[in-house]
Amino acid sequence: MPLLECRGLTRSFGGLVAVDNVNMAIEAGEIRAVIGPNGAGKSTLFNIITGVLPVSDGQTVFAGEMITGLPVYRVVQKGIARTFQLTHLFPDLTAHENVRIAAQAQHADRWRPLAGGHVLAASRKVADEALEQMRLSRFSGVKAGMLSHGDQRLLEIGMAIAQKPRLLMLDEPTQGLSIEETDRAVQILRDMLAKGDLTVILVEHDMEVVFKLADKITVLHRGRVIADGLPDEVKANDEVQSAYLGGLE
Amino acid sequence: MNFAGFIVAQTLNAFSQAAILFFIACGLTLIFGIMRIINFAHGGLFMVGAYVGYSTVAYTGSFWLSLLIAPITVAAIGGIFEKVFLSKLYVRQDAGAYLMLTFGLAIILAQAVHLIWGPQPRSVAIPDLLRGVVVILNQPFPIYRLFLIAIGAAAAIALWQFLERTRAGLLIRAVSQNAEMVHALGTDVALVRTGIFMLGCAIAALGGVLSAPLVTAFLGMGSTVIIDAFVIVIIGGMGSFLGSIVGSLLVAFVQVFGAYYFQDMALAIIYLLMLLVLIVRPGGLLGKEQ
Amino acid sequence: MRERLVIALSAVLLCLVPLVVPNYTLTLIVEALIFGLFAMSLDLMVGYTRLHSFGHAAAYGMGAYSTALILLHFNLPLPIGIILGVAISVVIAIPIAWICTKSTGVSFAMLTLAFAQLGYAMIFRFKDISGGSDGIGGIPRPAGPFGIDFFQSKSGYFYLVVFCLVGSYLLCRAIVTSPFGAVLTGIRENEAKTRALGYNTRAYKMAVVVMAYGFGSLAGALYTPFAGFVAPELFFWLVSGRVLIMVIVGGAGTLIGPILGGICFMLLEQQLSEVTELWPLIFGSIFIAFVMLAPDGIWGLLTKRFRSKQVVPGDGEDGETSRATP
Repeated sequence: MPLLECRGLTRSFGGLVAVDNVNMAIEAGEIRAVIGPNGAGKSTLFNIITGVLPVSDGQTVFAGEMITGLPVYRVVQKGIARTFQLTHLFPDLTAHENVRIAAQAQHADRWRPLAGGHVLAASRKVADEALEQMRLSRFSGVKAGMLSHGDQRLLEIGMAIAQKPRLLMLDEPTQGLSIEETDRAVQILRDMLAKGDLTVILVEHDMEVVFKLADKITVLHRGRVIADGLPDEVKANDEVQSAYLGGLE
Repeated sequence: MNFAGFIVAQTLNAFSQAAILFFIACGLTLIFGIMRIINFAHGGLFMVGAYVGYSTVAYTGSFWLSLLIAPITVAAIGGIFEKVFLSKLYVRQDAGAYLMLTFGLAIILAQAVHLIWGPQPRSVAIPDLLRGVVVILNQPFPIYRLFLIAIGAAAAIALWQFLERTRAGLLIRAVSQNAEMVHALGTDVALVRTGIFMLGCAIAALGGVLSAPLVTAFLGMGSTVIIDAFVIVIIGGMGSFLGSIVGSLLVAFVQVFGAYYFQDMALAIIYLLMLLVLIVRPGGLLGKEQ
Repeated sequence: MRERLVIALSAVLLCLVPLVVPNYTLTLIVEALIFGLFAMSLDLMVGYTRLHSFGHAAAYGMGAYSTALILLHFNLPLPIGIILGVAISVVIAIPIAWICTKSTGVSFAMLTLAFAQLGYAMIFRFKDISGGSDGIGGIPRPAGPFGIDFFQSKSGYFYLVVFCLVGSYLLCRAIVTSPFGAVLTGIRENEAKTRALGYNTRAYKMAVVVMAYGFGSLAGALYTPFAGFVAPELFFWLVSGRVLIMVIVGGAGTLIGPILGGICFMLLEQQLSEVTELWPLIFGSIFIAFVMLAPDGIWGLLTKRFRSKQVVPGDGEDGETSRATP
């Protein structure tokens, strides 16, 4: 049974069909990249899977459980963590506090107004680890808003992994990064993926990043899936070439 | 007393009430729409308008002149306040700060009026031309209230046309949609903001002058009317000009007829109305959904 | 640690107050402390969750009126009356919180205002019970339980208020530093992100509103038996405005700041309004000055020097290069 299964997901905005009958199955442990030109519906797909936007039609099944129509926080509680295309942080809190709040979200006693010392201690520990993994430990006490753009993107990924998700969804993690920053981010992501048995869906523009990280690739074009398979198969696919890859190179 | 006559008289009453409410609510909603500022001092400015109107009548004997002088004075006060204080806070992007600042101004205005005009209410005579009553369906009805309805309607139409048809109106609507873009296109947004704040203040002052012959100018008039105006703006939709018209009418009708049919609940009824609207449509009747 | 010492020290100093000040001054101080508690309760919403309430008078009024009615109609010991008054207010606050948290920002502020004004209107509607515009007078300050009549004296009541204030402060402090408090901070900084991390932010907001109303109603409940009467003005929006000002002037998001703000405001007002008619003018100007020049409030000013000495952890040089990249 796949970990995540999208069945005929559709989302239209007025007359525009941003995501059109998307079927996709992601096995546990897989690193899946979703690629496509601008406006292909990648971010919309992310948003309807995580419940940020309601679907027009179709279903999402996560670990055998229907999650369509659940509010965002419930979807996340099932074990899906995500980052946003535009960095979403708590800019006035320190990097460590950012990750700590994320880590705490998975603790059963996260709501405790009193007698929650063990929750804080546990979250602190997870946060330290996540920052370490993102090589951000030295910025632990720095306000997130003061970090460089590249570090902010890494911090957001750190927050996502601190949630100990079963499925990690990264929306263009290298967007807006310089070449050096991208290389560093890819290196960190590779180490992270090599270590664990994370399942990842990755939306990415940078083809190099995609081919370095992904096991399988899904190509979206105008809201539809036009190809689905191993990186080399996708590369060789004529339709993909003309729709996307050819156009870029 | 016949029923039809009663209904007509009460309806006209409600319309004249709505006119007064509109004068304060529309400035509030315009200022919010353009500047994202909830102007707590708006009631105070309304009151200052009434008092300045009183003094103008007292010194010159002309009610008509007060309709000119009060708005100009109050617009000047508003303009100075905007330039000296509010404009310094735009960078901070903190809605709370505006609320506090204008609340501070409201306190100062109330005290200033107290110091200048003293604690006793000041009554303004209805000008000769508008004195007396007309008989509608056997019911006597004050001409002054009819005048209020007329001037309220005229002001609403004029403002609406101003916003829809003129270049300045277009600019105002553009700033309320996207101030940065308008700024980038080479318009002095700061000037538009100051202008709209002064316009809002002037309209409120006009409302104050017009209401003075009905209720006298008294110290609490600002704090009473501002809450009504908030309710109107919330019901109509924050920042929506048409919403302020609809809201004024709705609140005035509920107040006038509510006071007659549900005397016990007269005070509570407009808050209940507001709660109802917000629960059904959180953005207000004509406002954008949040 | 240093802060704890300061708090303990000021609590001890407070306890000595009834021994040294004259009777009349003690009255003022008790009222100021109650107002400090009231301002602190609002800080939970304004300072920690950025929920701007413009109707916090509702909490005060509910606490005051329910305690008044209980003490008047039932022969109960004073502390029980106060506890019941708070309990009733908390129960009423639950649906209020549910409705108010449906919206955010300005609408939230206006909804809280609507409820406070509704409370004001209800006092006039149910005149038989509430006394209408006359309010309710002659509220007793009964003895008990177990025949303890300590609270009946003014200095005894002072200790009761100090106890409630310090207790509430410690409780609120525990709340804001708890896991729950961390979520509130997240909501304050970025609610959408907090929700995307898996928190049901609406539930947290509801909870904090109920808590704030609870502590606020405790302030109202303490006021009632001390003053001996209640009036509909307790619900009026000017009360809400004043307490909001105290939170800001004191220093939102610090708990201790609003307490100081509330106390200073009440003492200043009581002193100055006697000597000068200009008090509201001065007050308005001070307030505007704080908004313009010291947005962190009194407490922010007091702790500024201490804070600037704090070293930011992390490697400074690397931080610079990191910041320099676009």
